[in-house]
Amino acid sequence: MPLPFTARRAKPKESAPTMIRLPRRSLFGAASLLALPAFRPARAQDNSRASQFILATGNELVAALNDPRADLATRRQRVAAVLRRAVDIEGVGRFILGRWWRQATPQQQQDYMKLFEETLIRNLSARFGEYQGVRFSLGRSQQRTEEDVLVNTIIERPNTAPFSLDWRVAEVNGQPRVVDVIAEGTSLRLTQRSEYSSVIQRNNGSIQALLQAMQGQIAQLAAREQQTR
Amino acid sequence: MRLMPPNTSLLALALGIALLAGCATRPDPADPDAVAEFEQNNDPAEPFNRAMYDVHQGIDRVVLRPVASAYRDVVPQPVRTGIRNVLGNLRTPVILANDMLQGEPRRAGDTLGRFVINTTLGVAGIFDVASSLFGVRGHAEDYGQTLARWGVGEGPYLFIPVLGPSNPRDLTGFGLGIAGDPLTWVGQGVAVDVLTGVRGGMTVVDTRESLLDVLDDVQRSSLDPYATLRSAYRQRRAAEIRNSGEAAPAAAGSTGFGIGTGAFPER
Repeated sequence: MPLPFTARRAKPKESAPTMIRLPRRSLFGAASLLALPAFRPARAQDNSRASQFILATGNELVAALNDPRADLATRRQRVAAVLRRAVDIEGVGRFILGRWWRQATPQQQQDYMKLFEETLIRNLSARFGEYQGVRFSLGRSQQRTEEDVLVNTIIERPNTAPFSLDWRVAEVNGQPRVVDVIAEGTSLRLTQRSEYSSVIQRNNGSIQALLQAMQGQIAQLAAREQQTR
Repeated sequence: MRLMPPNTSLLALALGIALLAGCATRPDPADPDAVAEFEQNNDPAEPFNRAMYDVHQGIDRVVLRPVASAYRDVVPQPVRTGIRNVLGNLRTPVILANDMLQGEPRRAGDTLGRFVINTTLGVAGIFDVASSLFGVRGHAEDYGQTLARWGVGEGPYLFIPVLGPSNPRDLTGFGLGIAGDPLTWVGQGVAVDVLTGVRGGMTVVDTRESLLDVLDDVQRSSLDPYATLRSAYRQRRAAEIRNSGEAAPAAAGSTGFGIGTGAFPER
């Protein structure tokens, strides 16, 4: 697959640790057994680092969402700042545009990235009303691959049944970054890729059509943001 | 098509129409990315499915959503929870059968234990005491999942009005769920027919109510709700077949919208 995003965490990485460990064990015998405990804490630390990152990011988001003094624009800016820092917007955006990324002109790529970031932020800011009084806590955390960690959280809102969200955290340029959100087994980036591609396809492969649709969506979200006030 | 039970003429009909009706144009074989996507979407009957989706949206707008919305407004939350618990408890025979068919004795034990406790202490299933007092949470299971575990492929994606997203395998599972449910065959007469009808109707209303927020959100925020639902359904179904993640609601059916909604957190 020519997608840079998937290529970065391709399958072989999952089996990499065992592949390295096995010959080691046979070659050095007991020596590798001593090395094993060293392996585990390193991975556990990875895990807790991702959890800490999600905890910190989540607390920042909740603080920004629940700040009663700030007006809408201020809150949106605070949320935007947290998202820009915490989410691998570039990587996720490219992944979602998928095969159309290479067919887009540089100008379209640039426009798309701007619209994508705006959509991400507006999607949250249009729900400020719904997320009033939101609380979240860490659930169990599980590691998937070498650099990918799924961090489970539980989101609680007043008068609504709590629900569980998984955050996929990867190392991007040495920093932990959210690369996907998974709700009930459904990956947001996969669903959104399907959605965007469908829009382009139904408009005879026009990327411009998607950009226009995104623009319309952002306008709608902005209108909703005002209503929820 | 594999494993078609004799009593699912509806399924055969739906499939027949799907095959006759316009199939999606295959992408240019010279474009490997387009071909890969076409295969990944698994929706060769897309034009037909989109037409069915529009039919469903019409029904939903006029009947399903207003009824579910009124149900939420009129019936207080504790009563709705009780109704959901009863519906879930009534699904025990199907869940238990599928736990066993999948060779999951522990889950089968959970299902059986829950049924005994909830039917007695939980007053005919109204209160989920097995979960609240004994910590044994419910899970859903259906024939579609069992067929998947047995290696039956899902087949092409299908959208069925009222039932929602599906495929030949899950639709077969849905039929087997009805045919293989002892409650379908118990007794006869007007009273039984009425109760069966009430149960079926309540399942639809309860399921739609549980999806009010999610589906409203999809309609409002997706640039192509059809594509979003297709992707979400297939991903969630795969997760359910793996028995990974959160428990599906007790009342979930084996196809369509009623699958795995409203996850409850594990504490």
